[in-house]
Amino acid sequence: MSYYLLLSALLFAIGLYGVLSRRTAILIFMSIELMLNSANLALVSFARASGDLGGQAMALVVIALAAAEVAVGLGIIVAVYRVRESTSVDDLAEFRG
Amino acid sequence: MSAFDLLMGVLLIASALAAVTLKNAVHAGLALVGNFLALAVVYFALEAQFLGWIQIIVYAGAVMVLFLFVIMLLFDAKADVGMDRLPWMRPVGAALAAVFFLVLAYAFSAVGPNNPLADVKLAGGLPQALGKLLYGDWLYAVLLVAVLLFAATVAAVVLVQPQIRKARVKPQVLERDRELKEVGK
Amino acid sequence: MLLLLIILLPLLGFAYLGLFGKNLREPLPGIIASALVGVSFLLVLFGLLGGGASWEIKDWLPGIPLSLVLDHLSGYMGLVVTGIGFLIHVYAIGYMHGDEGFSRFFAYLNFFIAMMMTLVLAGSYPVMFIGWEGVGLASFLLIGFWYTEKKNADSARKAFITNRIGDFGFLLGMAILYSTFDTLSIGELREILETSNVLPLSLGLAGFLLFVGAVGKSAQVPLMVWLPDAMAGPTPVSALIHAATMVTAGVYLIARSSFLYVNLQDVSYFIAVIGIITAAYGALSALGQWDIKKIVAYSTISQLGYMFLAVGVGAYWIALFHVMTHAFYKALLFLASGSVIHALGGEQDIRKMGGLKKYLPRTHLHGLAGALSLAGFPLLAGFWSKDAIITATLNYPFGGTGFYIAGLSVAFLTAIYAMRWYALVFLGEYKGSVEPHESPKVMTIPNDILALGAIFAGFLALPEPLWNYVEPFLAPALAHVEVHHMSLGLEWGLITLSAVVALAGLYLGYMAFTRWALPKWYLTFQTWSENAFYVDLVYNTLIINPLKELAAIWGLIDSLLDTGYLALAGVSSWLGEKLAWVQAGYVRVYGALMVLGLVVMLVWGVLR
Repeated sequence: MSYYLLLSALLFAIGLYGVLSRRTAILIFMSIELMLNSANLALVSFARASGDLGGQAMALVVIALAAAEVAVGLGIIVAVYRVRESTSVDDLAEFRG
Repeated sequence: MSAFDLLMGVLLIASALAAVTLKNAVHAGLALVGNFLALAVVYFALEAQFLGWIQIIVYAGAVMVLFLFVIMLLFDAKADVGMDRLPWMRPVGAALAAVFFLVLAYAFSAVGPNNPLADVKLAGGLPQALGKLLYGDWLYAVLLVAVLLFAATVAAVVLVQPQIRKARVKPQVLERDRELKEVGK
Repeated sequence: MLLLLIILLPLLGFAYLGLFGKNLREPLPGIIASALVGVSFLLVLFGLLGGGASWEIKDWLPGIPLSLVLDHLSGYMGLVVTGIGFLIHVYAIGYMHGDEGFSRFFAYLNFFIAMMMTLVLAGSYPVMFIGWEGVGLASFLLIGFWYTEKKNADSARKAFITNRIGDFGFLLGMAILYSTFDTLSIGELREILETSNVLPLSLGLAGFLLFVGAVGKSAQVPLMVWLPDAMAGPTPVSALIHAATMVTAGVYLIARSSFLYVNLQDVSYFIAVIGIITAAYGALSALGQWDIKKIVAYSTISQLGYMFLAVGVGAYWIALFHVMTHAFYKALLFLASGSVIHALGGEQDIRKMGGLKKYLPRTHLHGLAGALSLAGFPLLAGFWSKDAIITATLNYPFGGTGFYIAGLSVAFLTAIYAMRWYALVFLGEYKGSVEPHESPKVMTIPNDILALGAIFAGFLALPEPLWNYVEPFLAPALAHVEVHHMSLGLEWGLITLSAVVALAGLYLGYMAFTRWALPKWYLTFQTWSENAFYVDLVYNTLIINPLKELAAIWGLIDSLLDTGYLALAGVSSWLGEKLAWVQAGYVRVYGALMVLGLVVMLVWGVLR
């Protein structure tokens, strides 16, 4: 089991790198999805290791959550694009100071 | 660690790396789809069949399609190009990710051995077993998720409404219109 | 309640005139101010006739009441203060006519009267101290009334600072009294000291320190340097504050504390010595002055010395008697000088005066009355009170023959310089350029009243076997002193001697300053006297300038500290500038920082 756990940790780290280095909002979002999935993998591995179905139930909830989040997030990105004419995250630097 | 595990591991890591490095957004999205599909296969192998199907249908089938729709829709999103204003973020991000991985790996190394009865209890992760749990102990969670999805739907619809701006009329014109209406009465 | 009104009415006048006086036309502020003081005078009178009054708030400070008391002593002094104060207020209506600070002047004058009455009516030392400080403040405000001139502001500052040195002594004396007896109420202290047989050792120190306060306030040597400079203020101020009332506050303090000093032989002796030294210094300096007001100022210093001589030998009521007569003739002298200055359009140098007898007949009579009273011309007020003091040096327990001879000699000098003042101003030929005009009635009528007082007030207390109203009136409030009266013949003989001395001095002065040419040794002496024997110079070199240098050094250190603190602040602002990029607004940076924080937390958690 520790193999899959290590794998999920690695995937999470890759997703983290993606969040920090990508400049377009959509691609950042995709990296976030990657991270979520790695968490799911960890959950399922733990379920397999202990025989507790709760892990899989949790993973199911996470998938539903991710779906909802994607819907709203993409809506925001589209709305911002309409106003800003740009999807580069660096252009949205108004949280200054 | 069987050959299957190794193969899946390689697939997952390769597709993930592709997803975070490819410059063309469509290519990156497709790589991510591949990642999700491989993940679904792994779920099957880990006695979570229902979850595997859900992964294919919802994640690879709905979420990624949504992503690709938006990428196609927004012209600018097609590629991750342009001057990078923070060039130092790449090595720093890589370093942070590496440290993170090492810490997590260290934490995970303390996990104990498998429960020998696991396979029996999981019952393959089939809907019957999972359903009993979901509509039993996890009912509250399921209901909340339903509410959440509803809220997300409403939000998504509201967010994409076109902005209708009322034409700004000069006050003198408004005044004149009002007077005319009075006279016309 | 009555007592509160006596103080509150002038205080109200101060507040009202201070706030709204600008809108009132002349002479309304003056009339309001004078009326309020007049009412205070009547209230004091009624209070006395009604047998006295007292008012108290217990435990205002721990163990110390806020109390006012109107007994014979405070009533006596109060009548002098408000009575003379009223006359001077009326005079000032005329003198300050046309000045743009007209209402401000009367506001300050009323404030002074209120504070002086607080001092006089005080029943406990802290209340007296409030009045003490208040009159010091009023003095500062009034000396520097025409503050746009640097000289006036400097004089005001000098007066205040010199006073302060005395005030410090007063405070320390109060502290010692409080720590020894746990009370500062005058009535209680009097009871304790009169009934107990054993006296604590600290009493002498307390008495000495209270006297230090009196030295500052009443311009005794060595703190007398502020009084001549105080002449920079308007003449009514000089008359009221620096002749009749504020400077006598020191005498009043010691008289009030007579129950204390009666037991302190050494301190009383010291007081008398200081008194006679001051009297001599004042008289000698007055002989060489050329400013009409400065002569009178040094004369005040001299006469104050006489008062302290009196309290020093134990003759408290005599000192107070002299306070009253001195108030009359000194105020008269100042106001007459004021009339002269007013007549000549501001000229104060007596070398440019002379022969004013024919131009200012009324003022001339005033000046003559004042000068004669000051000199001790027989039968005038000054004669009786000064003679009482000189005789007392032989009668009273702490006195001695040395004091008698010194006192008589200074009386001789007093007569000389008084005649000098009169002769150079009013006799001879007019040496000035401006055409003099007589003062208006509002200025001459108060002077008339003061002149009457200067001539007749002495008859209130005549030597044995004639009547004496003052001594029995004040006796209940003062300590009991054993007096060894000399035989009647000797006493009247000495009185005749003083009369002769005074007449001789007047004659000598008349001849010296109108007829004879002055010898060379006298001219040298005159220069010394003109500069008041260079006391100011000595003080400046030894004390003032070194202190100023020290202050400059401290100022330098202070600015160095400031630079140091600014540098410290600069460090934090430099730090802020350097770290500003953290919040540049890039989301990715924030994200990276969040991850960093997360990693740190994880590492710490895992390693634990």
